[in-house]
Amino acid sequence: MSVLAPIRADLRADLRADRRGRRRRSLIVNAALAAIVGLLLLITLTMGSVRLSARQVVLSLLGLMDNDAVNFVVQDIQWPQAKSAIATGLALGLAGTLFQQLLRNPLASPDFVGISSGASVAAVAGIVIYDFGGLGIPALAVMGAVVSSVLMYVLAWKDGINGYRFILIGIGVSTFMYGLVGYLLTHSRLEEAREAMHWLIGSVGQSGNTEVNLLLGALAVLVPLSLVLRRLLRSLELGDDTARVLGTHAETARLVLIGVAVVLTGLATAVAGPLIFVALVAGPIADRLLGSAAGGLLAAAAVGAAVVLASDYVAVNLMPTQLPTGVVTGAVGAPYLLWLLATTNREST
Amino acid sequence: MTGRLSARDLSLGYADRDVVKGLDVDILDGRLTAIVGANACGKSTLLRGMARLLKPRSGEVVLDGTPVTELASREVAKVLGLLPQTPVAPDRITVGDLVSRGRHPHQGWFRQWSPADEEAVVAALAATETADLVHRPVQELSGGQRQRAWVAMALAQETDLLLLDEPTTFLDINHQVELLRLLRDLNRRTGRTIVLVLHDLNLACRYADHVVAMADGHVVAEGPPTDVVTAALVEKVFGLACVVVPDPVAGTPMIVPADGS
Repeated sequence: MSVLAPIRADLRADLRADRRGRRRRSLIVNAALAAIVGLLLLITLTMGSVRLSARQVVLSLLGLMDNDAVNFVVQDIQWPQAKSAIATGLALGLAGTLFQQLLRNPLASPDFVGISSGASVAAVAGIVIYDFGGLGIPALAVMGAVVSSVLMYVLAWKDGINGYRFILIGIGVSTFMYGLVGYLLTHSRLEEAREAMHWLIGSVGQSGNTEVNLLLGALAVLVPLSLVLRRLLRSLELGDDTARVLGTHAETARLVLIGVAVVLTGLATAVAGPLIFVALVAGPIADRLLGSAAGGLLAAAAVGAAVVLASDYVAVNLMPTQLPTGVVTGAVGAPYLLWLLATTNREST
Repeated sequence: MTGRLSARDLSLGYADRDVVKGLDVDILDGRLTAIVGANACGKSTLLRGMARLLKPRSGEVVLDGTPVTELASREVAKVLGLLPQTPVAPDRITVGDLVSRGRHPHQGWFRQWSPADEEAVVAALAATETADLVHRPVQELSGGQRQRAWVAMALAQETDLLLLDEPTTFLDINHQVELLRLLRDLNRRTGRTIVLVLHDLNLACRYADHVVAMADGHVVAEGPPTDVVTAALVEKVFGLACVVVPDPVAGTPMIVPADGS
C-alpha cells in the first residue's frame, strides 16, 4: 500500500488536472461566446439602418435618452429584432444539441427531422385558416412540434429508439409536413400566402412582442432545467444499456429531454419560422471549440444566438435588398450539411 | 448455499422468440464465473436479464433476496455493474471523463463530485493500469486500452458484482489474456464477484473458478472447469468432436478438436 501511495497521488493530480482542464476550457469558450454575442448585439444595434453611437443605444435602452428619434429606432426597431434573434438562436442552439446528443447523431437536429416542420404546419394553419395572432401561434406551433415528435417516436420505436431509424423517419415526417403546408397555402388568399411564405423562410424581424417574450420566459425556465438534467444526458450518451446499468431510467430521461427540446423548437418556430440550419450547426461548432469538454449546452445555445444575430445582420443590412434571415442561414448551412453527409458515414465506422 | 445473485425459473426473450427458457442459476459470491456456450444459446441474454436490462417473461432474478424488478434502479446500480458487449462513448470523451461517469449512481442532483468519487476513480484507473491514459480521448486508444478504460469505468461504479458481456471479443490473444488476468487479479484482491460471457472455452477453463455451460436457453452443466469440461460436454454444447487434455501450463482442461475425417 505504501509503495502505491505516491503513484496514487500522481494519479489524483492527473485526474484533477483532467477535470480542471475541461472546466477551464468550457469556461473560456463560454466567456468568449458571450463576448461575441455581446459584440454582435452591439453591431446590430449601432450599425443597423440608422448609425448610432454605443452611448446613445445604451442610454436609450436604459430609458435615459431624451431624443425621440433615437428612442424610436432603438426601442421599436433594433432592439426587438435583436432580442428576437438572440432568443431564437439560444433556443435553436440548445434544442439542436439536445437532439444530437440524445440520438448520438449530428444529423438529428429538430430542423432536419420533422420537429420544425410540425410546428410550421400548425402555425401556418393558424395564420391561413384561423387568422390567429398573439398567443395562438406559439400555442399551435408547440402543439404541432409535440404532435410530430410523438408521431416520429411511435413510428421509429422498435425495442427502443435507434438514431438512424429516427432520423430517416424524421425526414419522412418532415417532407409530409411540408406537403401539408403546401396544401394549406393553396387554400389561402394571396395576401395570407405571401405572409406565410415569408414566415416559412424564417425571419426574426417579423414576430410580435408576445411570441418573443413567451420564448424568453420559456428559456428562463428551460435553460436552468436542462443544466440540471445534463446529468441524465451524460449517462444516456454512453448508450441505453450503460445508462440503465448506471441507474438512469433511460426512456423517461430521454422523453423529458426531448420534451424540453421540442418546446424550445416550437416556441422558436413561432417567433422566427422554421429557421433552418441553426439547430444543426450550433452543437457541432460548440463541440469543436470545447474539445474534450464537448457536449456543453450553454456553449451550443450561445453559438446559436451568435449565428442568428450574424445571419440576421447580414440579411437585413449587407444585402442589396432586405432578405429573410433564413436565406442567409440556409446559404451558410447547406454546404455544411453536404460536408456532414459526405463525412458522417466514414467517421462512424 | 445461494449467492447474492440468482435466477429462478427465468425465461427471457425478444419479440416472439424465447431465448432463455426456464433457467435456474446461482452466481457464486466472490468467484469468477464464466458463462460459455455456442452462438445464440442465450448467454448474453441471460447476462442482460440478470442486469435488469431485459424484463423476465416469467420467473425472476433475485438480488440480495429481492426480485430485481422490485428494486429501484439506483439501488441496483450501486451493487451490480455490467459492461455491455459494444459500449458507446461520445467522440471526444477522455479516459478520465469516461471513468468518472461510472460514479453516476453514487451522485445526486446537487452533490455531483465528492472525494469518495475521486478515490473510486483513482483506484479504478490504477487497477486497470490506465493511469497514463487519463487525458487521452477514448476514440484514439487501441482496442486493448479501450477495453481497459471501459473496465475501469465499470470498476469506478464500485459494485460488488460485475458482469461483462464478451469483454474479449475484439481483442487479440495477448490482450485477451491480459484482460482476463486483470479480472482474475481484481477478483482475488477485492473479492468482487465477476461473471463473464466468454467465447473461448480454453480461456474460460484457464481463468474462471466456475463455468456455466449453456445450450438452447438452458444450463447444461456447471461447476469448476476441471470437473465439468469434458469431451462429452463440448460435443453436447458446441457439437464439436474433441479431445480434452490438461493445459501444459496450468493443468486446466484444454480442448483440442478431433480429426474431422
